[in-house]
Amino acid sequence: MTRIYRSTEATETSTAARIEQGGPSAGRGITWVGRAESYYGLPLIKKAHWGWQIILYFFLGGIAGGSFLVATLADLLKLDDNHNLIRAGRYLSFVCILASPILLILDLGRPERFHHMLRVLKLRSAMSLGSWGLSFFGMCCGVTTAYQAAHDGLLDWFPLLVRLMKAVPVKAVEALGAIGGLFVASYTGVLLSSTAVPVWARARHILGPLFLTSGVSTALASLSFILSLGRNNQRTLEKMERAEMVAMSTELGMLAALPRVLGPLRKPLFTGRAGALFGVGTIGSGVVLPLLVHLGYKLVRRSIPRGLNVGLDLLVLIGGLILRYTWIVAGRTSADDPKAVHYYNEIEWNGRHH
Amino acid sequence: MTHGFFTDTTLCIGCKACEIACKQWNQLPADGYKLSSFSYDNTLALSSTTWRHVAFVERSRSTDGTGKAVNWLMMSDVCKHCTHAGCMEACPTGAIVRNEFGDVYVQPDICNGCGYCVPSCPFGVIGRNHDTGLAAKCTLCYDRQKDGIEPACAKACPTDSIFFGELGELHEKAKQRVKTLHERGETGAYLYGVDEDTSVGDLNAFFLLTDRPSVYNLPEKPQLPQEHIVPGFVASLIAAIFLTLATAISLGGRRK
Repeated sequence: MTRIYRSTEATETSTAARIEQGGPSAGRGITWVGRAESYYGLPLIKKAHWGWQIILYFFLGGIAGGSFLVATLADLLKLDDNHNLIRAGRYLSFVCILASPILLILDLGRPERFHHMLRVLKLRSAMSLGSWGLSFFGMCCGVTTAYQAAHDGLLDWFPLLVRLMKAVPVKAVEALGAIGGLFVASYTGVLLSSTAVPVWARARHILGPLFLTSGVSTALASLSFILSLGRNNQRTLEKMERAEMVAMSTELGMLAALPRVLGPLRKPLFTGRAGALFGVGTIGSGVVLPLLVHLGYKLVRRSIPRGLNVGLDLLVLIGGLILRYTWIVAGRTSADDPKAVHYYNEIEWNGRHH
Repeated sequence: MTHGFFTDTTLCIGCKACEIACKQWNQLPADGYKLSSFSYDNTLALSSTTWRHVAFVERSRSTDGTGKAVNWLMMSDVCKHCTHAGCMEACPTGAIVRNEFGDVYVQPDICNGCGYCVPSCPFGVIGRNHDTGLAAKCTLCYDRQKDGIEPACAKACPTDSIFFGELGELHEKAKQRVKTLHERGETGAYLYGVDEDTSVGDLNAFFLLTDRPSVYNLPEKPQLPQEHIVPGFVASLIAAIFLTLATAISLGGRRK
């Protein structure tokens, strides 16, 4: 039975009106109608403290996962003519993943207790899953990098390790590590969206895929940047250009879906200083501009000049960093806004029950 | 046996004895002498060093447009010790546990201050302390409960607005109280956090309120954040498969 309660009979649109289904002694079924009120406009939920360490980690974790994936694909499918892409991918993912735990530990309130992260495995905690995923991926990176270093003669001072590494079934490690890399590049988005912060939580279907796609596109950009500095990589660079265009188009599609998915909750992401930075730095010069330039050269069937390609790669990288920055900043603004929190709770509730 | 709080806001006189008793017993530092300048509420919110907070809803007229004069609303807020606690599920170290009294408890020797519990609480309760680097919130006076005595805030409350006890008994008492209030004409009285149908579930620390929850800065239909883990990873998995295939095909290209 549904009754509509009103604090007075006089006003139809009273903010105190509510629909009740379980009797006044229970919370069950009390659905408040009308606009939620506010307590002096004070925040209802608390924002995350995360700052530059986490922003940089999100960025580097994406590059690590993406470049490991690219190196793995190039190796397993024999797509690399002169091995330069595989070599660069392995070393790059290792460098990025080496910096990650340092950044994460710096961010802790009690850095000396970092190992408590591996005390338990909790399937319902994105951060617990991420800690294990990062450890696993880090080990795979370590092995493939040592394997590469052994073949490059960098470990000649340690013959036993060279013999050991040359015996490693590297393709199996790569295949497993690529899954780990894809996980590391995407879980950070799931981590943000499984909080009570409205703009993150509402973007739950997009945030993981978006961070992953940006991870792949920034990885391709940094690898293309590195290979541009060397010689005889023209063919590889042309193939990578295609891969970059696919990744950036995917990213653009997700970014375009955001305003519709978020509705009014998009405000902190698309307005103000953070919004301007997001629009210009990520969407504009980080995705749309490089995509258009690449498309233009494809259309006239000419290969892109090396200098221009390097410049575009840098723009993509900067755009990827700004992407992580704006999502963190937008999360702070969104958490501080009690109206956004009430609106979010309301639409989620209505979405589930009506 | 699960224990909890029943906070009856119709009995609260806003004396803040609970805030002080909590700070004293739990040896929490003072938060400075800042005045909010817009309310008798100078505490403003729960934090890592404030585990009870008395909210003051200072309205002289009813909001329903009738111009009827109303009493101020006061409410002693506290950690809700949810049935499905967002902070506890988020905690990657297992520092946040449910203890033998059914309370959501942060083990200070395990917490490493990652801060993930903070945005994961749909009520904005738990905070990270800058001095200790640890997450902290109401323990429901775990130490006092072990000795069989009630929490400091409930002990100090002069009007018994804060009532501590076994959850089943508390529910019965609270429902009786709502009935009494309805008979006396206070028809707006209802329980917040009892027989809830949200993903957060019932609250071991529940409240008797007389206005809608948002008036007290409480969420209406709070959501458990961890509901998003599965959809988030499924979406990521689809994206991962697509990107792997697309990248492989692009890198492969035309063979010569």
